[in-house]
Amino acid sequence: MISKISYAIKKYSFLLQQLVTRDFKVKYKRSVLGVLWSLLYPVLTMSVMALVFSNMFKMSMPNVNYLVYLMSGLVIFNYFSEASNLAMSSVVGNFSLINKVYMPKYIFPISKCLFVGINFLLTLIPLYAIIFLTGTGITWHHLLLPYAFICLLMFTLGIGFILSAVSVFLRDMFYIYGVVITLWTYMTPIMYDVAIIPEKFLFIFKCNPLYWIVKFVRDVVIYHAVPTPNVWIYCGICGLVFLIVGMVIFKKTQDKFIYYV
Amino acid sequence: MEKNNDIMIDVDNVSMRFNLGIEKGFSLKQGFINLFDPKKRKEKKKNKKKNEFWALKDVSFKVKRGEVIGFIGSNGAGKSTLLKVIAGVMKPTKGHVDCYGNICPMIELGAGFDPQLTARENIYLNGAVMGYPKELIDSKFDEIVEFSELREFLDVPVQNFSSGMVARLAFSIATIVEPEILIVDEILAVGDIAFQAKSEAKMMSMINGGTTVLYVSHSLTQVKKICDKVIWIEHGIVQKVGGKEVCDDYLKYIENK
Repeated sequence: MISKISYAIKKYSFLLQQLVTRDFKVKYKRSVLGVLWSLLYPVLTMSVMALVFSNMFKMSMPNVNYLVYLMSGLVIFNYFSEASNLAMSSVVGNFSLINKVYMPKYIFPISKCLFVGINFLLTLIPLYAIIFLTGTGITWHHLLLPYAFICLLMFTLGIGFILSAVSVFLRDMFYIYGVVITLWTYMTPIMYDVAIIPEKFLFIFKCNPLYWIVKFVRDVVIYHAVPTPNVWIYCGICGLVFLIVGMVIFKKTQDKFIYYV
Repeated sequence: MEKNNDIMIDVDNVSMRFNLGIEKGFSLKQGFINLFDPKKRKEKKKNKKKNEFWALKDVSFKVKRGEVIGFIGSNGAGKSTLLKVIAGVMKPTKGHVDCYGNICPMIELGAGFDPQLTARENIYLNGAVMGYPKELIDSKFDEIVEFSELREFLDVPVQNFSSGMVARLAFSIATIVEPEILIVDEILAVGDIAFQAKSEAKMMSMINGGTTVLYVSHSLTQVKKICDKVIWIEHGIVQKVGGKEVCDDYLKYIENK
């Protein structure tokens, strides 16, 4: 099992790298600002949201800068929504390849999640710029963040596997997921403080894996604290469980793809 | 099971079923209409059987090392499906295929091209799609460019190429390896006359180099020229296996049809 995986990694890492660079090159082809958009885009969307929402929701937390609060949630959620959306269409979109050449099909959702992952790392630059400019300060706790990022990657990969497999059989998924992701945006405390949620509804929010990942990041970035053990555990479990479930669903269905696409 | 080193490909009772009906997918609208139309509902039940299409039915054969096998048959007879099953692109509905050796499937060339990328970038991308390691592409890069005669256009996006140029590039990338099993699906006629001659010569040198070849073509003269063994497939069923005389039988069948 392990040797099989390491063989696959060795054999297909070059293909994976080629697919990711292809996406990157194509994305910024013929745009004047090119890769700068990866930095500018989140800053601009955040500015719009900050403008709209900072007056709408009164921040009940003292000493918390709304910009940092918003931005830290936004980079996490944007990664998830963009990566899962691209992963969903990756199998259907690459059908001309799947039907003609032998290659592992799981490589498509993985390459999309990694491609958006590189973009995600770039959006950390404006996040840190804001942390710096608002005087929030950086402590050693920031070294804990990679754990949250890895959990986020695993969770997104899992969802990406599930969506890409399901959307082959059910094209309606593209529309359904569009609605789901909108709902998900508001169900995750990105622009508002979770304290405004009535106690009895709070459990719904806590079922959301992204809630825990965002909480982990904010504990570190805003409060300079080590997240409590339950936050660590929830993040890890969500990532692992979704990744495994996604892999199993994908593996079970992948041989049938060619009949449906 | 006996292990025979001389057998390169073992196709064992392979059947491939396509479901023509699901091509359209299930639509709520159609389901709703059918609900109120008993005639349609009956039809649907009947169609279920009709929609099944066996592209291959119980195909079995063995290929020995160094053999050059020609596949002939009408359009839609199942030749390309068979090659795709052997290449591992499709998993057969029934039966299984064992291959002992690395395969170079020249089934649809240039499938991995991204039209927005330049020829240089596409050489790497397509090479990766074909499963070549980076070192191989690095070392053969000049050979590819030389063979395709596209050096001046190396940094031009492929979408600005003519279809002949794309085919030349694809052919040049596909043929840099020395595979043990070569699968060729009617691609000898690529590019202009000069390039056709060149690509045919290259193909012949690969075939003569002792490679096992599976060759699909509608040109019976070609098949007669290069193949040791001919397999005639019609409606997904192997009609005849044998020497070059199978070509004549096939020709007779076409004339009598």
